[in-house]
Amino acid sequence: MWMAWGPRLTFFCNAAYRRDTLGRKYPWALGRSANEVWAEIWDDIGPRIDTVLTTGKATWDEALLLFLERSGYPEETYHTFSYSPLRDDAGAVVGMLCVVSEETERVIGQRRMATLRDLGSDPSVVRTEQEMLAFAGRQLGRNPRDLPFTLTYLFRDDGSARLANATGVPAGHPAAPATLPADGPGGVWPTAAPARGESVLMELDGVPFAGLPTGDWPEPPTQALMVPLLQQGGAPHGFLVAALNRYRPLEDTYRGFVELAAGHVAAGIASARSYQAQQRRAEELAELDRAKTAFFSNISHEFRTPLTLIMGPLEELRGRLAGADEEVREELEVVRRNGLRLNKLVNTLLDFSRIEAGRMQAHYELVDLAAVTAELASVFRSAVERAGLGFEVDCPALPEPVHIDRDMWEKVVLNLLSNALKFTFDGSIRVRVHAEDAHAVVTVADTGIGVPAEEVPRLFERFHRIENARARSNEGSGIGLALVKELVGLHGGTITADSTEGEGTVFTIRLPFGSAHLPADAVAPAVGTADAVSTSADPYVQEAMRWLPADDTAATAGETTAAPSPDASTGPASVLPAPAHVLIADDNADMREYLTRLLRGAGYRVSAVNDGREALRAVRTDAPDMVVSDVMMPRMDGLELVAALRADPRTASVPVLLLSARAGQEASIEGLESGADDYLVKPFAAAELLARVRANVELARLRNHHARWRTALVDSLQEAFFVCDEEGAVVEINAAFTDILGYGVEGLPYQPVHPWWPDAATDPDGHRQVADAFEGLLREGQGRYTVPVTHRDGHRLWISVNFNYAQDPDTGRRVTVGTFRDVTAEHYAIQRESALAALSLRLTEATSLPEALAGALSELKDLWRARRVLAAVFDHGDEPTLTATGTPPAWQQLPAERRRFLADLRHRPLLTPTSDHTGAGVLLEHPDGPLALWIDLGDQRPFTGEDELLLSLLAGHLAQGLVRTHQIDQQRETAITLQRAILGPSRLPDGFAVRYEPATRPLEVGGDWYDTVELPDGRIGIVVGDCVGRGLEAAAVMGQLRSACRALLLQDASPARTLTALDHFAATISGARCTTVFCGVLDPGTGHLTYSSAGHPPGILALPDGTTRLLEDGRSVPLAVRPGRTRQEGECTIPARATLLLYTDGLVERRRRPLRAGIDQAGEAVQEGRGVAVDDLATQVMDRMTPAGGYDDDVALLLYRHPAPLEVSFPAESSQLAPVRQALRSWLDQCQLPSQTAQNVLVAAGEACANAIEHGHRHAPGDTVRLRAEVSADDLRLTVVDTGHWKTPRPEANAHRGRGVTLMRAMMRQVTITPTPSGTTVDMYTRIA
Amino acid sequence: MATPLTLTPGRRPDGTALLTVAGEVDMSNTDVLAAALDSTAGRLVLDLTAVDYLDSAGLSVLFSHADRIELIANPLLIPVLTVSGLADLTTIHTPEPGTPPAPRL
Repeated sequence: MWMAWGPRLTFFCNAAYRRDTLGRKYPWALGRSANEVWAEIWDDIGPRIDTVLTTGKATWDEALLLFLERSGYPEETYHTFSYSPLRDDAGAVVGMLCVVSEETERVIGQRRMATLRDLGSDPSVVRTEQEMLAFAGRQLGRNPRDLPFTLTYLFRDDGSARLANATGVPAGHPAAPATLPADGPGGVWPTAAPARGESVLMELDGVPFAGLPTGDWPEPPTQALMVPLLQQGGAPHGFLVAALNRYRPLEDTYRGFVELAAGHVAAGIASARSYQAQQRRAEELAELDRAKTAFFSNISHEFRTPLTLIMGPLEELRGRLAGADEEVREELEVVRRNGLRLNKLVNTLLDFSRIEAGRMQAHYELVDLAAVTAELASVFRSAVERAGLGFEVDCPALPEPVHIDRDMWEKVVLNLLSNALKFTFDGSIRVRVHAEDAHAVVTVADTGIGVPAEEVPRLFERFHRIENARARSNEGSGIGLALVKELVGLHGGTITADSTEGEGTVFTIRLPFGSAHLPADAVAPAVGTADAVSTSADPYVQEAMRWLPADDTAATAGETTAAPSPDASTGPASVLPAPAHVLIADDNADMREYLTRLLRGAGYRVSAVNDGREALRAVRTDAPDMVVSDVMMPRMDGLELVAALRADPRTASVPVLLLSARAGQEASIEGLESGADDYLVKPFAAAELLARVRANVELARLRNHHARWRTALVDSLQEAFFVCDEEGAVVEINAAFTDILGYGVEGLPYQPVHPWWPDAATDPDGHRQVADAFEGLLREGQGRYTVPVTHRDGHRLWISVNFNYAQDPDTGRRVTVGTFRDVTAEHYAIQRESALAALSLRLTEATSLPEALAGALSELKDLWRARRVLAAVFDHGDEPTLTATGTPPAWQQLPAERRRFLADLRHRPLLTPTSDHTGAGVLLEHPDGPLALWIDLGDQRPFTGEDELLLSLLAGHLAQGLVRTHQIDQQRETAITLQRAILGPSRLPDGFAVRYEPATRPLEVGGDWYDTVELPDGRIGIVVGDCVGRGLEAAAVMGQLRSACRALLLQDASPARTLTALDHFAATISGARCTTVFCGVLDPGTGHLTYSSAGHPPGILALPDGTTRLLEDGRSVPLAVRPGRTRQEGECTIPARATLLLYTDGLVERRRRPLRAGIDQAGEAVQEGRGVAVDDLATQVMDRMTPAGGYDDDVALLLYRHPAPLEVSFPAESSQLAPVRQALRSWLDQCQLPSQTAQNVLVAAGEACANAIEHGHRHAPGDTVRLRAEVSADDLRLTVVDTGHWKTPRPEANAHRGRGVTLMRAMMRQVTITPTPSGTTVDMYTRIA
Repeated sequence: MATPLTLTPGRRPDGTALLTVAGEVDMSNTDVLAAALDSTAGRLVLDLTAVDYLDSAGLSVLFSHADRIELIANPLLIPVLTVSGLADLTTIHTPEPGTPPAPRL
């Protein structure tokens, strides 16, 4: 406080004013007139002083802005003060008194905190960079005092920077150019330092800075701080230019504020950018996936049925119109050719669809690749030669056979040949097979038009066609080469293309020998020789022929099945819709070949097997029109074969012709009795055989017409079809069934439990769902279920099944007919949505970064039913920090293979999952560094494309969530630091301890406060209060009430009158009503406390005898409820060694518990710690009272123990001993110790001080010795510290000195002497009886 | 500046030399006490009734005359005298009831 006295208003002040306010004006100001001392603010305060002097009425100003020049520059300061008149004995006003408290730090701290909070309060998490910058700009612009203007520049790729946002400065101002060059002269702001991540303090002088805006101030800023917008693990995004308030020094807190603000902006930019990138990527992936799936399903579903219904009747029509005129037949031929072409295209697309879905049924068998390839090539020979090209087939035998799937390999070779023929007009086509390293290499080379270099990389892309290329035909979908690449890939091989425009193209296929690269279950045992080329070659050759100059195309149409005989009546091909299929079973190779040649020559499609068992398998896989079987065969003879065929309803109607060497009526009858349709005895005439075969086939065709239509229709169904018998065994299926589940007709019948049921051990849940559905199928007539099943290759599918009872017309038995559809995609789409929702929920619930990560991992574990999910964050060096579901293992304990996998993940692109047979991993960004995530599936479950897509989406989502949580973490830290800065006095009087803790969730600081005020008469004002509400608003109300209460106490040290006055003040502030306050004034000498409570919970006094008292007097209503009503005071004397606890209700109030119980618990907590030092006790009470989930309201707490500890410092001179003793004696009196105890302490302290003087400082008399004494309920601790060295006591040389230490030990319970190079500490302790 | 100490020589009714000490004895004023003791010879009764503080420096002065002195001491001083062992070498009397308590300086 200060006063102005007399006519000149002479200036006087107390020590506190000198220290806190006067600054450099001391001692110059003493005795000068007030208007001289405060000349710079006289315009503000002069009129107020005049008012006081002329009217005698006091003034009151709260947090008034004054520009003081006490530190050498005009400084922005805030003061709360009142002027009151001073009267002489006659009552005339002769001067005035100013009681003042400075609030600069509080006001500025609040202002900065508001800006930081607003920056962090962005309600919408998802926003673009533009929106984010605009938002941040609005918040920065709202604080023109700390930030007169700001400029946000973002770096561009070339190092230059563009202005992204500006506040407080008009567009086009020379200080805010739209762009800044990378570096060098000409730039208003230097970009090099911030690009390196450094801050720069700029003096704002020079041309571009003329006429700068002034913000909220009269003068423009003179300095600006350029702070980089740092990016985690990368170059800064840009930098923030913050013009500085010229009326405040750039100390650490100001710099910290600007850096925090820049940090918020940088985090926002990073968040927006990474969100956009991840969003875009996830959307692209999802879109691509959707498009593909939709396209292929449409093709397969929509084309197959109509095609079947075109081609079937067409064949019949051709047969019927065999005699029609040439023109009709040619047109029918055009229809048929194009039908075949379309069929080929659909089949190719379906192949893709199967490959994509992992449903390609491959059967890899060991073959002589050279022979097979040569044979395939030979199919094209006539077409190539007709085109006038050379055709060179160079296929010497390879050293070992190669595993291939014949159907696939055919497609590979035929596609390449067809392609070569299409684009080659001169020269030759060459097919070559040879071995190289451990590979079989097949090349197809042509001397065609070649491909431009830039097109080569895109050759194998689907639907990619080279525009304007000269070709034999413009037909083509651009899908053949893409299919070739996929098929070669399925073989574990590679295909490459070399091409020179105008010279030709070479395709090179490399297939590994052996079978290690193929799935074990798809590898068949060696079969041996090359078989005939299947009919699938037909469409390729036919198509190729169509490109060539018109000739007799009809003559070559049936190339592979042998040309039909010119005489239609002798060959079956001309009257039957398609070449009939005859299966030959004979163990004699010569006989097999003879029969094959014979029948093929007659136009049949022929396949041949060695024995009855193979024949049975072949019939079940692809039922022939006719079986010709020898009777005598190993493993299963002809009769057994007939019996087995007849026993199975699906094969019962296949006609069988038995051949036998056994002549005679009996043998013939035996054969016919067994169910054979015909019987022929060797030797037989060729014509006889052909006649019998033809008769049987035609008969069977007539008989089976309906059956075949049924089969064709069932097979063309887009849904899977099955028939179950009464026991639930699956006895019939269609092609879609095999496509979806991977189980083919060769395995029929499938007995329950069906092999596609989920495994009962590893997936009991899925197993139960299917079991329930199956039970429904057997018990109920009809039904519909959606269940999980396991594909033959192990991957998980979801199918939707419909079924119905039906009666088998032949047997009269009840069967169940069902269809199902693959709904995996729908199922996973729903699963994706719910997984994203569940993950989001986990992330929102988390209150810290580790909690968010742990929650997300456990969500992922549940989702994939994983054994474990592991996250490795590479936050420092190569050894990452691990988090896992369950106990995280140490990095070094992980298998080396796993460690390498996780480390390698770091080099993969973000959000791109990778998997092996034990699980899947993905890389994402964690605020502390790259995060490698591993999902341990444990068993051999495949991780499908669906799973990868889902993991990618979830990982992106998780990365976002982690960034958000990290920001919240940082905001929490910032908020608490700032709140604590606003709260409480910077220096606490001795004997006090205070705590403030914000609510845990939702994290918010609130309106609780504590305060201590050192009053002019040596007493101490104590305030603990609680404003209603939370957040910034409550904090602002709290700040005002706290200042007002301080000032009122300084003016009049009566708690009741202070609260009465505060009632009036609170009534004028919105939000201050109903604040509760405990206000007390303590005499630290006597422990006398007067207090008054405005609706506040009672203070707790813990007495040294273990009892507790509540301070319940002087109570009235909360603030501003009844303004004007006089408040009462209570008083008490705090006994020696008692502890006073004041608090806000957050400490004691709990749901469903009486307040009293909480108060009692707090009392016990203080009592329990009555022997502990008061600051430790504060921590102990806060810990003990913390509820399980953290405080849900904020808490302020204040402790005082009487008397306050004694602290004395004195020069090391013996003359000081008496005064020190006197001070200690009166403190001991305050402690109310038994007199002998007090005497003992006095002696022990005297000896320690004497030692310090005599020995510690024998070379440096006058150095400082410090004595501290602190008392608790039951004990007393005394410490004497000097800065010198003691001598080792040598009682024999200096008898009485040894006696001193002996006395200390005798007088106190425990004495510890700790010598250090910098001094000696004597620590003594005694119990109070 | 030394801690104030008052020394008053006198005689006991039986003729023994008497030195009445009042105040606090610490290392700043032991030389005064030592000089006073050195200036006497033969048996001496030292009346410490009005001494309420005596530290080890004061004790060492008393030790060097232990064989010829008797003490009258305030009960508060007894623990110090006992612990230091001086009580084993000299006779210690407690002040007679009614003796005014030591004035505190």
